[in-house]
Amino acid sequence: MKVDIQSLGTFNQLAHEGAKQATQALSQMTGIDAVVDVTKITLLNREDVGEDLAGQDFVGVQFDFQGALEGDTVLAFEADSVGPITEALIPGGADGEMAKSGVKEIGNIMMSGFIDGWADYLEATIDHSPPTYVEADGADILPEAPALDDQPQVFVFKSQIEWVGESVNFYIYMLPEYDPLADLMTEHAESESDAIPIDKLGVFNEMTTNGTEQAAENVEMMTGIPTEAEVTQISFAPIEDVPKQVGNDTYVGTVVEFTGAPSGYLMVLFDETSAQNVAEALMPSEPEGEGLTDEHKAAIEELGNIMTSGFVDGWANVLQTSVDHTPPRLVHDMGQAIVDPLAAQVGQHQEHSFIIESEMRTDEIEFSSEIHALPNERELRQALDDLEVDRADETDADIEQIF
Amino acid sequence: MPDVLIADDSEFMRNLLREILEEDHNIVGEVENGVEAVEVYKEQTPDLVMMDIVMPIRDGIEATDEIKTSNPDANVIMCTSVGQEEKMKEAVKAGADGYITKPFQKPSVMEAIEDVVPS
Repeated sequence: MKVDIQSLGTFNQLAHEGAKQATQALSQMTGIDAVVDVTKITLLNREDVGEDLAGQDFVGVQFDFQGALEGDTVLAFEADSVGPITEALIPGGADGEMAKSGVKEIGNIMMSGFIDGWADYLEATIDHSPPTYVEADGADILPEAPALDDQPQVFVFKSQIEWVGESVNFYIYMLPEYDPLADLMTEHAESESDAIPIDKLGVFNEMTTNGTEQAAENVEMMTGIPTEAEVTQISFAPIEDVPKQVGNDTYVGTVVEFTGAPSGYLMVLFDETSAQNVAEALMPSEPEGEGLTDEHKAAIEELGNIMTSGFVDGWANVLQTSVDHTPPRLVHDMGQAIVDPLAAQVGQHQEHSFIIESEMRTDEIEFSSEIHALPNERELRQALDDLEVDRADETDADIEQIF
Repeated sequence: MPDVLIADDSEFMRNLLREILEEDHNIVGEVENGVEAVEVYKEQTPDLVMMDIVMPIRDGIEATDEIKTSNPDANVIMCTSVGQEEKMKEAVKAGADGYITKPFQKPSVMEAIEDVVPS
């Protein structure tokens, strides 16, 4: 089963246009100035869907839909934003059941626009259920991701909508059934020349999970801090949206350029507190000076180097090739500022990019880390073509056998 | 005590290796790229080189190749974060005598050295 890059781009554009229509409906009804910030398609394990919503309360409106495309979708408002929205909708009467009814109706209107765009493109009908009002925290705001016995991963379409001038976001998640979506993608594939096998994309994602586990093991071995690999996912987004994936928080970390099959850029990023904590766990003695000292930075640089290798070595071993990388370059900046020049480099040859992302964290101290890879799309496609699925678990090299 | 040259672009890792080795080894130099590694090797002819792979200017495999070409009896242990089979084969081809992957603990370093330079 294959999907071409153009179709994937078209599907992403459809989700983006749908989210724009939904946002315009919101603006018309409430006067709220909002814009679609990011739209991306992500392939990830079912249990990881919505991990990025953790720690926040939401009010949402869910629908299921059937027809040319099947699955569930939700419009999720950060809970604090609901008061102003319903007040704008029903001035002076935005309490209790009336407020819920207002949210349901605004969700209904917004999401109809979202789904209708898909139906029009597919020249088919997509029916959706009446809206269901939900209040929940974190990933519980989402409908359950569709289950399929032999397919642990799901495609998720996610749009993030920003309320201009407020630090508030809304989200649209669409969780289609895997098989009908894969069939549609295959049907709409326009060119064999840039087609990628989506089943192998899933296998590649599993290899990346192994790489993340290896990187987490390396952190644990170096610092003594038990470290867990968390979410691993492959997303697909327009190049201009790539820097927004990382956000505007300040990070400390490393950037390397890797060459081989595939080539691209890889970032290992820590928030400032995590960077300080993990660096101090690496140091043999107390650092001299306050904040992030040169000692901290040297430790982060080496940790980034070792985590990078842990991450990419598995790809090389499974593909029976080598992936070289440059020495790590230390970065300390806002996320978007770190990613911008890398996305610009990758964007010289492609309009969209796959983004391979993973996270790890520990409960012992405040520590979390993100790895983001931006591979060259053509070379990733070639690597997927060359990937022998039955070698997918052969991520480790046997030193004893070679030396 | 055997003379050892440490080649690694990471100051952090050079410090770590020095701490592991200095009790039983004489550290004759610490360098941060492959060019310096070759130069210092030729000046000092240490008993052992602990060589990183990913380094600026010249990588550790090229440096190993040059050291082994100039002195086939040189002892070089690759000491690297790279755990790729193809890269290990390249290291063997360049003449590396051993291979340790980072992160490592002192026993695995001492064991690798004992294999290459028996005490």
